[in-house]
Amino acid sequence: MASIHMSNEEFFTRLAELFDSRRNKGHGTVFLTQKRLTYAFDDETDFPPSAEKVSDDPLWDLHPPHPVPVLIRATDGASKEKRRDRKKDDKVKLSTIVQPDALDSFYVRYAEICKTGMSALKKRDRSKRKKVAKKKKAGGVDDGNKA
Amino acid sequence: MPQFETSQEWLTQSSLLLQARPTTTRITSKYNVLSPTSAKITKKRSKRPLKTNPESTTTTTTTATPPEAPLAAFILKTYDPVSGACLKYKTDKAAEVGRLVGCLGRLGRSMAALPEMGEDQTPDHKDDVEDRPEQKNTPASAVVSTPPQTQGSGGKKKKKGRK
Repeated sequence: MASIHMSNEEFFTRLAELFDSRRNKGHGTVFLTQKRLTYAFDDETDFPPSAEKVSDDPLWDLHPPHPVPVLIRATDGASKEKRRDRKKDDKVKLSTIVQPDALDSFYVRYAEICKTGMSALKKRDRSKRKKVAKKKKAGGVDDGNKA
Repeated sequence: MPQFETSQEWLTQSSLLLQARPTTTRITSKYNVLSPTSAKITKKRSKRPLKTNPESTTTTTTTATPPEAPLAAFILKTYDPVSGACLKYKTDKAAEVGRLVGCLGRLGRSMAALPEMGEDQTPDHKDDVEDRPEQKNTPASAVVSTPPQTQGSGGKKKKKGRK
């Protein structure tokens, strides 16, 4: 089961590619999802607990015995039918499992990639005057921000 | 489906939901850039003048002419399919992305059943941490809370300095 998911490193590079392809297209969507990993992909960890354990303690998930990995997914949100019409490559689906001890370092890099990837969002406005100028000549001001 | 005005509000409500249902709650963040020809944008542009025009025609010509509707948006959604709770926050500012992903990281920690390291420790958080047998019984308002904050603000300061 674990082979479906990619390593954190690969996920980052593929996610950056996903953001890039969105940028090249000019429009589009990137979905990022995170949730607790709820199926046992490793026999060593007893998670999720068996049905008997759950019936004994319905709130078992509030205090798991070990920290639980987090599943991170990314997709371009294209439905398969839509893609089929365009005869382009398949829907992009990325997923990775972040182990609890790697969580903090993962999110540092994750934030970096998201920051660079989400370039179409509004840049910080210095003043209202500049806001007007920005709209008139968007290119020049953007260069100024980067420098 | 409530949409919050501030990301802080979204964060606190989401962390509460995550504490209540840590296994089923998921967070979907959507980064959306509409194409200029998108129906959503053309609709918005056609609607806006209609709303403002009746009040005063002279001022609207100046204000409504730049129809730069927010083309891009970053939407965070915390959803628990079992209870049906859904919490949303939407922004179009690039400056918020770093902080919001930091929020995702903090929520990710509670997903992973790691002790919280946030700065806004409510009594609920502490109770939750103490209930867990495996975790250290240090109160959740631990010293670890400071690094992400300083990193975030540090980055901003650096940017300011460069300009």
